[in-house]
Amino acid sequence: MTVQIQPQEEAVGFDFSNYARNQFLGQHMNGLPKATSTGTTIVGLKFGGGDSGEEEGVCLGADTRATAGDIVADKNCEKIHYLTPMIRCCGAGTAADTEFVTNLISSNLELHALSQGRPVRVVTAMTMLKQYLFRYQGHVGAHLVLGGVDSTGSHLFTIHAHGSTDKLPYVTMGSGSLAAMAVFESAYKPYLKREEAVALVARAIRAGIFNDLGSGSNVDVSIITKAGCETLRNYEMPNERGVKSRNYKFRRGTTAWVKENIRSLIVKEDVKITSGAGKEQPGIEPHPVPVGAGPGGEEGMDVDS
Amino acid sequence: MTLLAQSPMSLHDTYAAPVEHRFNPYSENGGTILAIAGADFSVIAGDTRQSEGYSIQTRYARKVFQLTDNAVLATNGFAADGKNFVRRLKQSLEWYQHNHHKQMGLKAIARLIQTMLYGRRFFPYYVYNILGGIEEDGSGAVYSFDPVGSYEREACRAAGAAQALVQPFLDNQIYFKNQQPEPGAEPFVPGRLPLSTVLGLVVDSFTSATERHIEVGDGIEIFIVMAKGRSPESLLDEKLGEGMTIEEVPPVGEGGEERTFLLSGPLKRD
Amino acid sequence: MNAIIQNLSTPSHLPTTEEDELKGYGNLDEMGRIKGMQIPRVPDPTAFLNLYTDSMSSNPEAKIKLAHGTTTLAFRFKGGIIVAVDSRATAGSYIASGTVKKVIEINPYLLGTMAGGAADCQYWETYLGMRCRLYELRNKERISVAAASKILSNIVYGYKGRGLSMGTMICGWDKTGPALFYVDSEGQRLKGDLFSVGSGSTFAYGVLDQGYSYDLSDEEAQELGRRSIIAAGHRDAFSGNTCNLYHVRENGWEFIGNYDVSQQWYEYEAKKKAAREAASSEMAVEV
Repeated sequence: MTVQIQPQEEAVGFDFSNYARNQFLGQHMNGLPKATSTGTTIVGLKFGGGDSGEEEGVCLGADTRATAGDIVADKNCEKIHYLTPMIRCCGAGTAADTEFVTNLISSNLELHALSQGRPVRVVTAMTMLKQYLFRYQGHVGAHLVLGGVDSTGSHLFTIHAHGSTDKLPYVTMGSGSLAAMAVFESAYKPYLKREEAVALVARAIRAGIFNDLGSGSNVDVSIITKAGCETLRNYEMPNERGVKSRNYKFRRGTTAWVKENIRSLIVKEDVKITSGAGKEQPGIEPHPVPVGAGPGGEEGMDVDS
Repeated sequence: MTLLAQSPMSLHDTYAAPVEHRFNPYSENGGTILAIAGADFSVIAGDTRQSEGYSIQTRYARKVFQLTDNAVLATNGFAADGKNFVRRLKQSLEWYQHNHHKQMGLKAIARLIQTMLYGRRFFPYYVYNILGGIEEDGSGAVYSFDPVGSYEREACRAAGAAQALVQPFLDNQIYFKNQQPEPGAEPFVPGRLPLSTVLGLVVDSFTSATERHIEVGDGIEIFIVMAKGRSPESLLDEKLGEGMTIEEVPPVGEGGEERTFLLSGPLKRD
Repeated sequence: MNAIIQNLSTPSHLPTTEEDELKGYGNLDEMGRIKGMQIPRVPDPTAFLNLYTDSMSSNPEAKIKLAHGTTTLAFRFKGGIIVAVDSRATAGSYIASGTVKKVIEINPYLLGTMAGGAADCQYWETYLGMRCRLYELRNKERISVAAASKILSNIVYGYKGRGLSMGTMICGWDKTGPALFYVDSEGQRLKGDLFSVGSGSTFAYGVLDQGYSYDLSDEEAQELGRRSIIAAGHRDAFSGNTCNLYHVRENGWEFIGNYDVSQQWYEYEAKKKAAREAASSEMAVEV
């Protein structure tokens, strides 16, 4: 009888050692570095079809505030991400995670479309996203609203960071989801016209912008129908900054310095062409290459002589 | 079946941290206050938003209060403690007036605030106070306090949620920190800027804090206390910001020659 | 007077209602004595305080940030006592103030320094001023520095373990000449010739010990105190901004001046550079 020695059992499944490492580092530093989170209002609804007399589609909306704790990190960020020509995805949660997860899935969807030779369906995007997020057990903090149109019609989903999904006619997510949902619950009805849908989405986002501290600035809207996707960046701008009452131009010489050292960073060199197209040829007048505008071009930089 | 019935929670709470319950009497209500002293005036301002977490509790909650004809107090931190503190302080000041037939001086109010705050050294009021007004010698003054009563007279001070945003700005524009003086300029004395400059800086502090801090916004209230002999003409001449209104605040007591004005206006609401 | 007697004859009751608070002012009753302070009704009040304030520095995440971080020093020499302090107050990594008065003028003959909780030092040293005045009225002579520091020490010892934070030097001139005492909230009270307290004290001691002698002239002593604070303000992140300098002499204390730390530092550096250059040019001549 032979005893078979089992080879050292290889670790299978997903590796969370980096998470453990981060926890450890967090205890030994002054807390982990703050990730920019899009304390956000994102919404989506289905419209058209039925007795509206209009083509059915989905309308997505988002605010444009990104925060790091209680500080506004970006006053006009984009939270409606591109997945495919006919699918868009709004992201809430950790900004980096929503950005990268939608980018990654967008690439994979493109490869999928290429290998299958036809446009991908919204469910496919939804499945790829949820399977990815589930693998990371919620540590990839992306909370998404997914919408688009494919061969089977228009679809709208929410995907939570742990991987669960919902398929609903109107959805909201992010810290402003309650404010936005209050608007939807009071005013949503099936078979809205496109114009009504856009107005309702904008109103829901505004509810988030004004009533949720995590949301703010402007309203972005995307409308996807069979005809295509229309993105209305900064559809509404209800929070423009007024004029400052004073002028903060500083007098030249305001900043103190200890040392002054001026160096020329422009290197000039004469190059003599010895071969190729530019080579001097007896009897042939070289004519100058046309130069376009721009830095270094026709009206570009002035070089000190 | 029995097993499931015994521990229905274990299904969901597989990695939840243990929940600890304890006495938590404090909360944080956002907002920012600031005060700047001039030669013969003092400006005390605050925004009017009161929030908790990501929700706005109210868009109009007062944080700046007139105490006497020459003293105004701004409070920030935990709103309930602040309200209670101001109520007790005002009552003390009223009793002082009944007992002495005069209003308490600014310096004395500052010391009173210290003793009141320190009386809660072991159960602090979670409040940051800034007291502004006119000193008995007619000069504008600002006193700032920590939650347990340490205090100091200063030329300007910001406190609250956006303190770390506003104070560096004030240091630069009021104390001229990190600015080389113009060659041949007069030696710098803090707390001597003209009122129009100070009001501009206050308004810009709040509009800028509103841009970058989520807990600041909705409205601004600026109290201006003027020493006796100073004409309010210059104030009424100011070109006020958009939507700004100005009114005179009636005196608390018999009314000396100091006058208090309230300048209020809107801030962004997002 | 009748009111006081009447008040003394009334039965004592709990001094926590609002009505009672109004009779005196703040924490003082109508006799000017300290009344009981409000304490949260929890099983362990000290743990409660520690949870919400950073008074013991063990909870840097606490909501209520109290001013911290300091360099203070005082030393005795033949011309009296030099007291020098910085002016920075920090709350975590934030500089809460750069203009703190860390020398507390208890009365024209006594100075106290501030390290640890700003409010604890300010409040109890102000109160000490009251007690010293009462002593003068009762005994027709000024209190000794030893007695004054002991009053303070006894008060804070009564609160030991409750979370007070105070490290102070009581400096003055009495019948025995210049006297210097270190008192802290743990109950320690030491008589000595030279002390430095606070996060920057190690840097200050370095300069202080190297230049200290009892026979220093007034100018030399003042410069030593100033130089030590500038050194600490330069190297310790929790100290800095400006240096306040005091000199205690037989007829009371005198405020010498306020000096900007970074400005002074550059001046010292310029002097050092000039000295080096002078030395090297001398060398050249010798060769």
